[in-house]
Amino acid sequence: VELTMTVNGVPRTLEVRPHATLLSVLREDLGLTGTKEGCDEGECGACTVLVNGEAVDSCLQAALAVSGSDVRTVEGLARSGAALAPLQRAFVDAGGVQCGFCTPGFLMTLAAFLEENPTPTDDEIREAIAGNICRCTGYSQIVEAVLASSGGAR
Amino acid sequence: MRTVIGEPVARTDGETKVRGEAVYSVDHAEPGMLHAKLLRSPVPAGVIRKLDVARAAGMPGVRAVATADDAPDCIGGWILKDQRLFAKDVVRFEGEPIAAVAADTLEEAKAALVAIELEIEPTPVVGDIESALAKNAPLVHPDWQSYEPNGPADHPRYGNVAGEMIADPDPEAVAAAFAQAALIVEDEYRAPRQYQAYLEPKSALARYENGRYIVHTAHQYPFNVRDRVAQLLGVRPSDVRVIGHHIGGGFGAKLDAALEPYAALLARLTGRPVKLVNDRVEDLLTCTCRENAIVRIRTALAADGRILGRELECLMDNGAYSGEMPVLTSVPLHVLGQVYRPGATRIVSKLVYTHTAPTGAFRGVGGLYLYFAIERHMDHCARELGLDRREFRLQNLLSDGDTVLNGQVLEDAGILREAFDRIEEVAPWAKVTKRKTTADGKLRGVGLVAATWLTNPMPGSVTLKLNEDGTVGLVTAATDNGSGAVTMGVTQIVAAELGIRPDDVVLLMPDTDSAAYDSGSQGSRTTHIVGRAAAKAATEVRQRILEVASELLEAASTDLELADGQVRVKGDPHSGVPLETVALTATFKTGPITGTGSYATPLPDFNPACASGLLFPVFPTPSYHVHFAEVEVDPVTGQVAVVRYIVAQEVGKAINPDGVRGQIQGGVAQGLGYALYENIQIRDGRYGERTLEQYRLPLAVDVPNVEFVLLEHPEPQGPYGARGVAEPPIVPVAAAVGNAVSDAIGRPLNRLPITPDDVLAALGRVGPSTPAH
Repeated sequence: VELTMTVNGVPRTLEVRPHATLLSVLREDLGLTGTKEGCDEGECGACTVLVNGEAVDSCLQAALAVSGSDVRTVEGLARSGAALAPLQRAFVDAGGVQCGFCTPGFLMTLAAFLEENPTPTDDEIREAIAGNICRCTGYSQIVEAVLASSGGAR
Repeated sequence: MRTVIGEPVARTDGETKVRGEAVYSVDHAEPGMLHAKLLRSPVPAGVIRKLDVARAAGMPGVRAVATADDAPDCIGGWILKDQRLFAKDVVRFEGEPIAAVAADTLEEAKAALVAIELEIEPTPVVGDIESALAKNAPLVHPDWQSYEPNGPADHPRYGNVAGEMIADPDPEAVAAAFAQAALIVEDEYRAPRQYQAYLEPKSALARYENGRYIVHTAHQYPFNVRDRVAQLLGVRPSDVRVIGHHIGGGFGAKLDAALEPYAALLARLTGRPVKLVNDRVEDLLTCTCRENAIVRIRTALAADGRILGRELECLMDNGAYSGEMPVLTSVPLHVLGQVYRPGATRIVSKLVYTHTAPTGAFRGVGGLYLYFAIERHMDHCARELGLDRREFRLQNLLSDGDTVLNGQVLEDAGILREAFDRIEEVAPWAKVTKRKTTADGKLRGVGLVAATWLTNPMPGSVTLKLNEDGTVGLVTAATDNGSGAVTMGVTQIVAAELGIRPDDVVLLMPDTDSAAYDSGSQGSRTTHIVGRAAAKAATEVRQRILEVASELLEAASTDLELADGQVRVKGDPHSGVPLETVALTATFKTGPITGTGSYATPLPDFNPACASGLLFPVFPTPSYHVHFAEVEVDPVTGQVAVVRYIVAQEVGKAINPDGVRGQIQGGVAQGLGYALYENIQIRDGRYGERTLEQYRLPLAVDVPNVEFVLLEHPEPQGPYGARGVAEPPIVPVAAAVGNAVSDAIGRPLNRLPITPDDVLAALGRVGPSTPAH
């Protein structure tokens, strides 16, 4: 089946299996392996991408259902070789990254969240990322990265 | 000269990770690669009556189907050789591999699994520790006597007991202590399995080339994978090459081989690269979880609060095969005696086979439930004695130079007292124990506990090469499991020793062909051991640099220093020659500059006669910890909120304070999961929790910002004085929280995790959903 969508600003048309998930299309057909599969059941948030600006679990998202949509993945936050986006920079500087496997999902969840709430509080950030699991950091340095990048000093 | 030691330098792999560029094991692919799946046992125990793969082998796209008949006739294991690659004749746990399929696509591999004809006749299930130890219990391994150790010496084992440690050096003294006791306090504690729940499921990609197995995997201990693949496939270790990738978390579960030998066998059978990835359910069902355990403690007390004697029994669930576990039967000996003086002591620990998935290492291993038991019991003892809980602890606390149960001398155990004092400064005991309820009717409680932990002593190695552009290549099989031990700690040590920026240290991913042996990311060893090896290697490199620069600058090498990527005359920043020039000169004149360093901690003296079955005799390079927890318990819902958490930790020297903080915050979060949420309930050998929805992990809304106080008494053997840091912050958490919740509700909670149902049952508010305890 043919699927047309815009991925990180580039129009793409490709053949996909009818039941393919957006996650498998991104990772296997487009080679965008920055989006991670942690559980394949919509529980961990590692596969989060933006569809028309909204954060979705790409492992549960039928690829054909996003036909014609604008999809953004972690690779779209900053062009390869170009400077990091402020939120990415803040994750690195604040120690919000350890193993990093959950990081792309956090970044995409937060990218959508910060569009709606550009200057969130600590509690609002924690609520926003309650659907993303991080097993390494204990979350504090992730929350601080968001506060730092959104100018919400502690 | 400015040094990067002690600075919050960003990890060198941070940028590649936030860009989504970092290649993890699950991301690695090769041209012509096949996809594999394992057929796993649907039952915990049974006899294989029929296994016919003929139909599956003829399915579309299928390139190979392998069973025990196709694998070399090998039996292996880390400590005890008790496991085959595939179940043969019998199955011993739900999820045990029976067959493997490699096909052109994952869908074809999955379709072929369904076509394998498998009939298993279920047999009685030995589902838990107590039924395994019961008289006339069926044996999980009727052939246990035929098994051989994977080392020079066997250890005590019999029937369903896969390992036993007994420390009972003076039975008469123990009897006398209990005979003269003013008070005897006795308790039993229980803890469940805990799933490591790393975000990247286990995976492997293997290729067979020129008679060798090339294995790609994200692994904490590449050399252990090499050895296990070799053992199970019947080849020499050097016939296996293991190449590491970014690791999406491990926490101990990626210390032994898992999928790698299956991918390797299928690669040989098909002549193609083969990739094998766990889905989350099979990952959870077959992961080497922290073992469930039962701990019984009995203490003889003098009326004034002195501990006269102690007996401890620890029963650990091994699961169906042993892995690393026999070594961990020694942990109770260390934990019982390394914080409080235990008096005359008898300790028995037993590792018990059951028809469940093999258990294994998880950050802090048995320390979590052992400290939970001991510290819950300390609170109980204090209450029975009518003493203040903190005073009772201080009264029995070790001090400098005390000899502990294995004969080891803890020269600096007095740091424990200092850690209590530092907590007192920020949370005065008289004050924090005063408030018993909150304005909105929540019950308040506090817990204060201590722990001593080790830094794993096992060997590691580093080779450094000065590149012609003045950057430095770092070659090591040490792995960064996410902790930053390599991308912060070791990298900063190399940068500091050679006067370059951490970003100019170019790290090679672990490769067992190019790097010398390393013992893996376990027991907080990497910064301490590999950091010291790196400092040695850097000393060699530095010496060569100075020799070359001394000619270029026409100055004595003793007058030179390395800083800002230059060699210069001390005190004259304008005199410098760039490292690039030194490197180019050396490379084409006398040959490239390299240096190598190796290190393993010399084991401290101990008394080998202190116990039988002592496979893990010492806790070297100790670190000391005091944790404080404050909770609020809702008496209506039973919900527990951890409102304040403080860690006082001896780190020797914080090479990177942000990194240390990340380990403390993250370790405490995992400990809170163990204390309050995470649970695998096993019935008749089957897991009740099978997905991340059912297995409740701590989320951002559950975890408080952890306050911490770092104590820095440099450890002479460590690089810049650093001790192991990363593992221990998880260790005392369940103890601190367990004591705080029990204090809040005024009732003992002696089973983990402490759920709202448990709290309500203890308060007598509703009927318990689990048996009362």
